[in-house]
Amino acid sequence: MSIYYYLSAFLFCLGLLGSIFKKDLISILLCLELMMSGVAVLFVLFSKSTGFLDSQLMVIFMMIISACEVAIGLSLIIALYRKKQTIYTDDIKIITE
Amino acid sequence: MAVDIMLTILTVVFALMVVFSKKTVVAAFSLLMTLLMIAMIYFQLGTVFISAVQVLINAGAIAILFVFVMMLINLEQFTNNREKSKWKLIVSTVTILVLLGVFALVINNNIETLSVMNLADNSMKTLFAKLFDVYYLPFEMATVLLLAAIVACIVITSHEKHEVAEELAAAKSEDKV
Amino acid sequence: MLEAAIEILLKTVVILALPLGALPLIIHVERRGAAFMQKRLGPNRVGPFGLLQPLADVAKFMFKEEVHPTHVRPFFYTAAPMVALIVALLPLACIPVAGPIEAFGRTIYPEVFRSDMGIFFAFAVSALGSYGILLAGWASNNKYSMLGALRACAQMVSYELSLSTSVVAMIFLFGTNDIHVMVQAQSGYWLGFIPQWGVFYQPIAAMLFLVGIFAESNRLPFDLAEGESEIVAGYHLEYSSMKFALFFMAEYIHMIALSALFIILFFGGYGILPGMEGLASKSPYLLMLLQVVSLIIKIACMIWFFVWVRWTLPRFRYDQLMNLGWERLLPLGIANLIVTVLFVYFRNQ
Repeated sequence: MSIYYYLSAFLFCLGLLGSIFKKDLISILLCLELMMSGVAVLFVLFSKSTGFLDSQLMVIFMMIISACEVAIGLSLIIALYRKKQTIYTDDIKIITE
Repeated sequence: MAVDIMLTILTVVFALMVVFSKKTVVAAFSLLMTLLMIAMIYFQLGTVFISAVQVLINAGAIAILFVFVMMLINLEQFTNNREKSKWKLIVSTVTILVLLGVFALVINNNIETLSVMNLADNSMKTLFAKLFDVYYLPFEMATVLLLAAIVACIVITSHEKHEVAEELAAAKSEDKV
Repeated sequence: MLEAAIEILLKTVVILALPLGALPLIIHVERRGAAFMQKRLGPNRVGPFGLLQPLADVAKFMFKEEVHPTHVRPFFYTAAPMVALIVALLPLACIPVAGPIEAFGRTIYPEVFRSDMGIFFAFAVSALGSYGILLAGWASNNKYSMLGALRACAQMVSYELSLSTSVVAMIFLFGTNDIHVMVQAQSGYWLGFIPQWGVFYQPIAAMLFLVGIFAESNRLPFDLAEGESEIVAGYHLEYSSMKFALFFMAEYIHMIALSALFIILFFGGYGILPGMEGLASKSPYLLMLLQVVSLIIKIACMIWFFVWVRWTLPRFRYDQLMNLGWERLLPLGIANLIVTVLFVYFRNQ
């Protein structure tokens, strides 16, 4: 069972690595989702190890928040794509028009 | 135990594919598979409800959003290989190594206290009794957050009125020609 | 351990064999029904009443050349039909064909995956239904296919919302997620002859769910994903022979699974039909048989309803479809849910 602790750490670190390295916004969002799921696995494991149900509820809250994050992130990407026809972070250097 | 190791290996493989695949759509489908594998891990751990919610929300809704948006904007023109900076690589590798070291230290030192208990009552009823008993305020705030997110998405993605009018006028003049 | 494995294997075989075996019959009914409504004969040459026509079709599908276009993405192109079929088969695991039965000294549940939140699992799995179509549309690398896939996906996601509001209303009303308890709650009679089915408690939810089934399984009047007159054949444009047959099977199995869920929620599930009580009280095994027969009869009625609607209503326009989903059905579903919750709250006071 302890193998899952290492798995969650791995998922978090891999997501972090990806979100540092990736150049396009969609991949960065994908990696953020990976980090989120790593933390969610850890929460469920805590629930198993302590016997409290609270951490399972935290996973539900995390899902709500990640749904919001993904929805807003993707709609921002679409708005950006409409304006500038790019999704690379390098190409977005000016905040105002 | 064998099932645990198998699930872990599969999750790791799919997670690696998310980060290292060249095509972003492949990465999105790998993310979907990772999320499904994690749902199986939840099931294996005995938290059945969380597993079902994971399939319903993360795999059924969030991953579909990714794929949908990727198909809306033509992703073929974007590849993941642009110029790489050497310093980014070094700094992030060191960061990741330090993080992993901290994780390993913490897990190894607490492996006895992290022993597995049997979740006696894990049913939906007890879970939601707790949710509406202790966490009702955060839950309400989460619903408000969702509502705000919906409104934000609509505002961000909707064309402005004069833009729509211009597009319509352009389309009409094209029809006449 | 071995016993449990054998039990699960047997249940899996039964639950797979029932819909897959019924498929040729359903396709035949669809063709003959279409012919009946259009005042023609339909397939009637192969075998008695044309009953062997589906077998001839299967033989044709198998021996046809498998065209593999060069411009597709090969891996996903091959994977998409399989994904579609597997995802369509998954919800069947949670659907019981009969009530629990005492045999071999223990209670045997007839569904493959026994859980006290069966209905929740079935819907969680059927939420994955759009992946097969999305994959097919993207992998075909063809504008028509892509348009069809995008349409199908948007439609399925938006109608899933109104469908789930109706499911949540029913879960509130029954106070449980357990399919067996739900069926038990619908087993009584009003005035001695009207069965206490969910559809009489919640007609609005039943209507929402019914519309949702049509949208989820991409049947007419919601088959915008295929729309022959606009986008040729939609997501399965590039598919031929057995790969196309897999999509075909997936659509029908999705339909059967969703009809079974509809029947569980609104028409008493595997509960025996009115008039069978005298026969059923003789032996528990006979009761089980009658339950299976009742469920099959109910599903057959649903399938006939699908055929009926398909050849009666015209296809929607896409904006009409989206407006209906988001502006009519979703607010109606939410209002219905609020009323139901208030009703349940005051009933339990």
